[in-house]
Amino acid sequence: MDEAKSAVAQETVLKVEHLKKFFPLRKSPFSRAKSFLHAVDDLNFEIKRGEVLGLVGESGCGKTTTGKTLLRLYEPTDGKITFLGKDVTHLKSAQDRKWFHSKSQMIFQDPFESLNPRKTIFDIVSEPMNIQNEGSLKQREERVMEILKRVGISPPDAFLWRYPHELSGGQRQRVAIARALVMNPQFVVADEPTSMLDVSIRTQVMTLMMDLIADMHMTFIYITHDLAVARYMTDHIAVMYLGRMVEYGETEDVIQNPLHPYTKALISAVPIPDPEFKRKSLQIKGGIGKAIDPPKICRFYERCPFATERCGKEEPPLYDVGNGHKVACFLYEKDGK
Amino acid sequence: MSAVLEVKDLKMYYSTKQGMVKAADGISFTVNQGESMGLVGESGCGKTSVSMSIMRLLAENAKIVGGQILFKGQDIVKLKEEEMNKIRWAGIAMIFQAAMNSLNPVYRVGDQIIEAILAHEPDVTFEEARERVAELYKLVGLDPKRMDNYPHEYSGGMKQRAVIAMSLACNPDLIIADEPTTALDVIVQDMILKELSKIQKKLNMSMIYISHDIAVIAEVAEKIAIMYSGKIVELSDAVTIFKKPAHPYTVGLMSSFPSIHGEKKKLVTIPGEPPNLLNAPDHCRFAPRCPFATKECWEKTPPYEEIEPNHYVACFHPQNLRKQVSING
Repeated sequence: MDEAKSAVAQETVLKVEHLKKFFPLRKSPFSRAKSFLHAVDDLNFEIKRGEVLGLVGESGCGKTTTGKTLLRLYEPTDGKITFLGKDVTHLKSAQDRKWFHSKSQMIFQDPFESLNPRKTIFDIVSEPMNIQNEGSLKQREERVMEILKRVGISPPDAFLWRYPHELSGGQRQRVAIARALVMNPQFVVADEPTSMLDVSIRTQVMTLMMDLIADMHMTFIYITHDLAVARYMTDHIAVMYLGRMVEYGETEDVIQNPLHPYTKALISAVPIPDPEFKRKSLQIKGGIGKAIDPPKICRFYERCPFATERCGKEEPPLYDVGNGHKVACFLYEKDGK
Repeated sequence: MSAVLEVKDLKMYYSTKQGMVKAADGISFTVNQGESMGLVGESGCGKTSVSMSIMRLLAENAKIVGGQILFKGQDIVKLKEEEMNKIRWAGIAMIFQAAMNSLNPVYRVGDQIIEAILAHEPDVTFEEARERVAELYKLVGLDPKRMDNYPHEYSGGMKQRAVIAMSLACNPDLIIADEPTTALDVIVQDMILKELSKIQKKLNMSMIYISHDIAVIAEVAEKIAIMYSGKIVELSDAVTIFKKPAHPYTVGLMSSFPSIHGEKKKLVTIPGEPPNLLNAPDHCRFAPRCPFATKECWEKTPPYEEIEPNHYVACFHPQNLRKQVSING
């Protein structure tokens, strides 16, 4: 039993190699794009079954684009995505698309906008089964009741024929989670699923998601700007800056011992709910820009307090400093392998 | 220390088709000269209603039905609209929620601040006002050259700074900041909060910070009031609120908030959802979610009392006083 369990834990569900997503910037709809916004630029990582990867960074760093590209809601510009051993980078045939989209799902940020106001809860939650032609109407109803109960909407039959406006924010997000999980997906991307919720409701939804991930052995990508939430929800963290992954490692490792100057600044800026604790924050210059045709130098060069001449000339690769902790900064060249 | 603002038993209700919404129901607190107070609560608990009552910027169906708001000893509830106009901005200024949207996109940012100054101080000439805006820009960390830019040329953090500069334009005694950093990224949030704290101390101003984020409030406020369902359930200095919370809701709130500092504690969830303020019940409003609720809590509203010096709580079963009780049981 234990062997089977560890074999499951070892299995790589998603592998991402050199993933790129550029958006063309055109002057008019008919002109050729002269410049490109590098929203996601050369990402490499893999996620095992049951693992939660947190994508963190400020707005505009490309974390949502990464999530959407992985779910193939965007066509990748370059690179390779392997899901359960199959190349899903392009999904040419309808059959492949159907297979991939039945196994991967997304949970959106705003439960007030992600649910169609003109559909009942049953219609919303059963829609994925509908699209995939799964089961009879009766089976669908049973499955919807089962999943609603699982996400804490009880009694489920009292909610089946209601509309989203009759539910509170927390209940709506539970419905959105139920919709994502109704087909038993193996891979879920959740984009800031709790940032619109109130404090007391947020903890309920976070706890629910942690239970569901453990129960269903899902592979999860949790996109958030809130490092405190990421600390509780994720096993690994990838810190993104202007489309680049600047640091990757085990969550506690990254939070307790951030290496990249950007991660250090980010972590030192998080307010601490303790009035007696005096933070020392690392001040960095300027604000986050946009990666439009970026030169091949460190993207954090202009804001970095530790920048050297070399940082303005070449781009640092990801150095592995041990325990799977990787950082894209020349400061760690000696420690890296 | 003299009190700049004293709110006494404020009641502000909205009348709707479905009934009365008691958004502020018996709110009392004092803000002293140079003091910063935090008003914390979840959405819909009435914290913005309290600030709108203080500014007297009420919706048509909203009415202050009882209580007093004493600003430097003067009850502003009774003031006429023209008299209130003089106090707004010059006496009490406000930094609105989503400040990025509170600038007019078709006017230059500097001109909008000059307009506010000229409206309140007719003796000031345009040139003097412009000079003052340049000073304010320096104070909030903006380049005075950017005065002639339009809002879309500013980043989110810069707009927030401009709005802060605008709130300072007429040297107010009190600034109410309603979720001043909610839409900003952490690094920018950190800079803005530092800036606000620095200016507040430098000018010895009074501040009321309104937020749902207790971590932000912990950074900036000396005194904290916790609101739940239209009432203040607990009020004390920041350290007491965080280290010795007495109201079960505050206790729950503190242990349900994730932090990146210290060891990773298990998050405690508060069961249930905040109540609807429509036709609010006569008993303790937290009773349905409270692990300590007894028969008494379902029958009466607990009085808002000073249980220790400067520690006010509205609860029949205050925690953490004589013996240590945690919400985990």
